[in-house]
Amino acid sequence: MTTASQPVLLEAVGVPDGHTIASYRSRGGYAPLEQVLAGKQPADVIEMVKSSGLRGRGGAGFPTGLKWTFLPKDHPGPIYLCINADESEPGTFNNRILMEDDPHQVLEGIILSSYATRASTAYLYLRYEYPQSWHRLQAAIDEAYAAGYLGKNIRGSGFSLDVYLHRGAAAYICGEETGLIESLEGKRAWPRIKPPFPAIEGLFRKPTVVNNIETMACVAQIARRGVDWFKSIGVPADPNNPRDPGSYGPKLYCLSGHVEKPGCYEAPLGITARQLIDGQGGGVWKGRRAKAVIPGGISMGLMTESELDTPLDFAGPGKVGCLGLGTAAVVVIDDQTSIVDFLHNSCRFFAHESCGQCTPCREGTSWSLRMLERIKAGKGRLRDLDLLAEIGGTMGMMPGSTICGLADGAAWPIKNAIKKFRGEFEDYIKRTNPSGWMVTDPVPALQIVGAH
Amino acid sequence: MPTIIVDGQEIEIGADERLNCIEAARRAGKEIPHYCWHPGLSVVASCRMCLIETGSRDAATGKITMVPKLVPGCQTPVKDGTVIVTESQLVKDSRARVEEALLIDHPIDCPICDKAGECLLQDYHFQHGQAERRADLHPFTSRRRDVGPTVTLFVDRCIMCTRCVRFTREVSGTAELMVTSRGAKEEIDVFPGHPLDNKLSGNVVDLCPVGALGDKDFLYQQRVWFMKREANVCGGCSAGCSIHTEHNQDTIYRLKPRENPHVNGWWICDEGRYGWHHVHDPARIVAAGRRAPTGGAFTTVEWHDVVGRLRDDLKSAGRLAVAVSPMLTVEEAWMLCAVARSIDPEAFLAVGHVPRQGADETFPGGFTIRGEKCPNRLGVEAVVALFDPAVRSWDDLVTHVRGGKANAVWITAAYPGPWLDEAAAAAFAGLDCLVVQDLFESPLTALATWQLPAAGFAERAGTWVNVAHRAQSFGQAVRPPAGVWPEGRLFWNMLGRRGLYDPDAVRRQVAESSAALVALAGEIPPHGVDLRIAQLA
Amino acid sequence: MIAHKKILTDEMVAKIEALAPRYPNRRALTLPALHIVNAELRHVPLDAVVEIAALLGLAPAEVQDTLTFYQFFHQEKPHGKVRAFVCRSVSCALRGGDHLLEHLCRKHGVEPYGTTSDGELTIEPAECLGACDFAPCILANDDLLKNMTPEAAEAELKKPRARAT
Repeated sequence: MTTASQPVLLEAVGVPDGHTIASYRSRGGYAPLEQVLAGKQPADVIEMVKSSGLRGRGGAGFPTGLKWTFLPKDHPGPIYLCINADESEPGTFNNRILMEDDPHQVLEGIILSSYATRASTAYLYLRYEYPQSWHRLQAAIDEAYAAGYLGKNIRGSGFSLDVYLHRGAAAYICGEETGLIESLEGKRAWPRIKPPFPAIEGLFRKPTVVNNIETMACVAQIARRGVDWFKSIGVPADPNNPRDPGSYGPKLYCLSGHVEKPGCYEAPLGITARQLIDGQGGGVWKGRRAKAVIPGGISMGLMTESELDTPLDFAGPGKVGCLGLGTAAVVVIDDQTSIVDFLHNSCRFFAHESCGQCTPCREGTSWSLRMLERIKAGKGRLRDLDLLAEIGGTMGMMPGSTICGLADGAAWPIKNAIKKFRGEFEDYIKRTNPSGWMVTDPVPALQIVGAH
Repeated sequence: MPTIIVDGQEIEIGADERLNCIEAARRAGKEIPHYCWHPGLSVVASCRMCLIETGSRDAATGKITMVPKLVPGCQTPVKDGTVIVTESQLVKDSRARVEEALLIDHPIDCPICDKAGECLLQDYHFQHGQAERRADLHPFTSRRRDVGPTVTLFVDRCIMCTRCVRFTREVSGTAELMVTSRGAKEEIDVFPGHPLDNKLSGNVVDLCPVGALGDKDFLYQQRVWFMKREANVCGGCSAGCSIHTEHNQDTIYRLKPRENPHVNGWWICDEGRYGWHHVHDPARIVAAGRRAPTGGAFTTVEWHDVVGRLRDDLKSAGRLAVAVSPMLTVEEAWMLCAVARSIDPEAFLAVGHVPRQGADETFPGGFTIRGEKCPNRLGVEAVVALFDPAVRSWDDLVTHVRGGKANAVWITAAYPGPWLDEAAAAAFAGLDCLVVQDLFESPLTALATWQLPAAGFAERAGTWVNVAHRAQSFGQAVRPPAGVWPEGRLFWNMLGRRGLYDPDAVRRQVAESSAALVALAGEIPPHGVDLRIAQLA
Repeated sequence: MIAHKKILTDEMVAKIEALAPRYPNRRALTLPALHIVNAELRHVPLDAVVEIAALLGLAPAEVQDTLTFYQFFHQEKPHGKVRAFVCRSVSCALRGGDHLLEHLCRKHGVEPYGTTSDGELTIEPAECLGACDFAPCILANDDLLKNMTPEAAEAELKKPRARAT
């Protein structure tokens, strides 16, 4: 594993007016785009991104170039590119920094990606809660149009592209690619059943690719610095496993929670949680120890203190029972925090954000929240832990019980928390409900439910 | 022919058929439980009740490879070699969990819920659910919300299958119903001031798998397990939608659509659905009455006496003209014409008044309500044609009578409501003998010599031919009130036939003498028969 | 008959229509239209929903369906001139976010999602504002308030603030 010393994705952070087109061009930006438009075909760009091993940075980690090849060949169009700037995974804020501090890096990536996929329109779906990003992106888009990098017949290449900002309204599920598409189309953001997949039938029923902001920034940098550069960073594919695409490139890690120095840190894929926390993060705050660490946004679950040497690449967290790398948002929970409070917070989030379309998620997230509330209120039972573990083990896209992965994200913190911290839950329940912790029959609900 | 393997059993499906796993499994006699899927609506696969295991069998090696996770049967098409597993432990556990999830927040309403006895939540609970509740206890009863003139919503019983919302968007095209909020707080509602008010609104009640949506017309009227149902045809218009008449002790409680891919698909309109009340209207004519030539009130005549005395009156009056109502069946129409010609071989036969109201109305999903508000004009015309190729109309009859060319007129009507005014009735004044056979008194019965009761649509047995030349046969669902002889029974007896009225025998006789109606000779299948195809054959 | 006073001004309609060429159908204008109305009125009343629906060729129920999904648009009355979203997701909760929300609600005498009686301030819980590097944080109109304490938040929320974009 090779390390990169200078930030690349974050090169504009701290640079005065770094978000302007002048600053971006002075750093070498848009020259790659001009070269591509002058001498490369869309298929060349796809090949470049495929060879780089770039995997989507939005949470799923699907190889980006490969995803682009799912688009139908020779489609009459229109083909759409949707940029997922709905960043809502708790603990995650790297997209925000990229959009605020280096919007042109993102834009160049978008234009290159649109060229590669022959998209004629790119919709940038931006979450409502990022007004500063809204202003910065709109200003950057205006600058790009003025400079001739957007609009009709860009730089005489024959390629035309419009980029439009589309604003969300504070719903986490709009970060799911077909939830985003439904929201863009003006409907409630209920994710679609698949097949058909967006590459075949997506936005407005046309072929669509949905890519993350950080992925777009990576595309711009790959075009500028080359495939070899990108592949020199990170964790190479396991030669014994033909299905392993590797974990290449720099990654933005968001570090927050109980650390001395929360922040967004660029590091090669594969840094361990302990290195990140003790290195860039300045260590667990207040001289305390970590009880648990979220590896990649709350959906990914929990690592214990003894699991902190797990490499944070696409393969690592899965080896310790977490859902995956997710958004690489590392959240530290210190040893004076109750794991019950953590799980309650997680269940509350997912119950609030469940779109409500399919039965196991709608009811499972609601049921688990209510159990956690009852446990926190001192009326918990050990039996509740078994029920929670069952909910955690059965709802999700992976077992096939739900339409989208929100349920898996809701399930994993429950699964990990109950499995890895069961003792703490049991102690809490027995301590706070000495007369009722052993009851196995159903108990009265916490509030009178007259009408929900 | 593609072969599908369902729980180890091989079934063949048509080469051109596009089936999902639910439809394919049904062919093997396996019913995959489901809430949100409906063949007439878009596929959403959201209830997750139809989750099954699937796989494929290699055509060459016979090796079966199963998909490692559950998939919804409703969204999975089958092709040659598809393997479906509906009873594995994985599938059973999944179903039990979905049931449990739906019951966590379900109100304890079964004793007061109309849907009890035909509720999928109940049925699946017993078939697929678990015996004991594990979630916290909070018994409650549902809120009720008025959503429109025909439908009421019990909000908390809803399981969010969204069939009703999809119906208003895809079939009626009116989009009144919506989902509000998000997650477990979601509810069905209408926009304030924009109620569920379209001509197909009642279909959402059929679609609702649970007791959330209720017919205001049927609410609390009858428990479903007391009702019997008869396959009938709606008499409201020439669409001839297939229906079930649901009744108990000769009282109709509701009508439901009967699936017929050739006619109405899965739907009926509100006019037809709720248009049965006239059958039990206390104002119905329920006795055969004869007025003396000197005038005065009607004297009731016993039915057995009606047969002879009516014939005598008509014979002695002389020139006879008959209006054969398009509300009558093919069999009744034929017998009436035969009776008429047996009384007066030159009897003037005309198709009765054809009520029309508005234009045909087609909805985005394809369903059409016809402006012709009678079920059998084409059938009656085909029958009258056998006796008189001129096939006279009601207007021809009025001209004929006004021209003084008839002494006796027999008008069969059986319309569910008022159908002519005094001015129109005046054409029939001053006849020696006017026979009016109808459901309700009218300006015409005020002039009549004989006032005979007609049958309500559900009291008839026989065949109607709809606007698309499809003949459908049906049996009698309820008996008429007060010993009334419906038209069929009266005409049968007036023809001197023995025993109970046998519409099948009449139908076969009609088929023998009519090229247009030859398809009526055999058994009529439940979806009816297209008369034109049989003619070509 | 009393003429219904239009809620959507000509300016709002013009803004909505200006976006129409961006999308192949009118339904896609739904969320942008809701934002345009909301930015001006600080809520989207039912009458506005009817007008938006008519403008876009949709049934009112379709627009309302979308609107209520987001749990974001107030409908009964305008939210405060300052709309303070107090983050309660895990990173902020670990650094006092729940306590901050509870303190502010108590201090201003409102329930979460409630507006002060003078119409100045609305306090709402938010799910991950994406500023975990500055937890606990508050989004007040367009301004991100970082590293908030109850006292610092109180001081910040007293300040007049430009309306949200």
